[in-house]
Amino acid sequence: MNFKILQFVTLAFSTLVILQASLGTLLFTRLVGLTPHDVNLYYGDKSLHGLLEVILPHTLFISIALMAVLHFLAFIQTIDPRTKQKAIYSLFTLFFLDQFSPLLISFGLEFFAVIKIIAFIGFQVALLWVWGMIFRQTLKLIK
Amino acid sequence: MKFLASKKLSDNSVMRSIIIGMLLSLILAMVLSLSAKGIDYGVSPNKWINTVLGNEAEFIDPMSFNDLLFGIHTDLFGLIITFILIASVYARMGRSRVLMMGFLTLSLLSLLAYPIGMLFSSIIGSSGVILSLGGFIVFHLLMIMGGLDSLIGLLRKKF
Repeated sequence: MNFKILQFVTLAFSTLVILQASLGTLLFTRLVGLTPHDVNLYYGDKSLHGLLEVILPHTLFISIALMAVLHFLAFIQTIDPRTKQKAIYSLFTLFFLDQFSPLLISFGLEFFAVIKIIAFIGFQVALLWVWGMIFRQTLKLIK
Repeated sequence: MKFLASKKLSDNSVMRSIIIGMLLSLILAMVLSLSAKGIDYGVSPNKWINTVLGNEAEFIDPMSFNDLLFGIHTDLFGLIITFILIASVYARMGRSRVLMMGFLTLSLLSLLAYPIGMLFSSIIGSSGVILSLGGFIVFHLLMIMGGLDSLIGLLRKKF
């Protein structure tokens, strides 16, 4: 009985975080678009103040969220430390590229539109991968 | 989180004070979040339905899908962080397993109901908005009660 509930709690929490990431993706797709042209058009027109209004809360909150997510990973002994390091560095690198590419686009470096799209999709995929690992290992530990 | 749950808090006055401060702030944040939503969306199911789905008779436009997504995205982030922080302290309290599991399960269910109800309100109509409103209120009440319970436990040096 307890196992079932713990399984549910882990699943519900994972669903919540994945839902939040999906909402972000949907919002990005609707507001900005998923082609380099759309990204350049959207961020090229934004003022520095407008960009900071988006970057600042994201940097603040995503760093806290990554700390919370990755701390679960740190305490799972059955995952190889190298895999953990890969997950941590990929998530933070993709996060920085994703957040700071718009600034570079607004300064005229249009190539960063491609980087922005790759980093954005990569970040979502890496986050799913990390949650998948945490969920799978948590279920093994509970058993 | 692990660093909040790793030591007996009653033996560590600094950590105890920090967590008392954090709980007070989070409880206040939950009360403010309820009040802000009440001002934005209204305090009755009908007002929520009018704000989200609009009302032709009263010439109220429905909320645009982008605004709805943006609202849920920002709300959910703060609520997930609040849940992690309050639940990590509450889990340390040593309440019965049934109570703790009930608290976690209900909190997560209500927190899931809020965005899901809103997102599907354009398909299932007012039932989605009411589900969302119910989830929002239940989650906030649970966080306030869990936070207060933990706060009282900490002040009495119970854990």
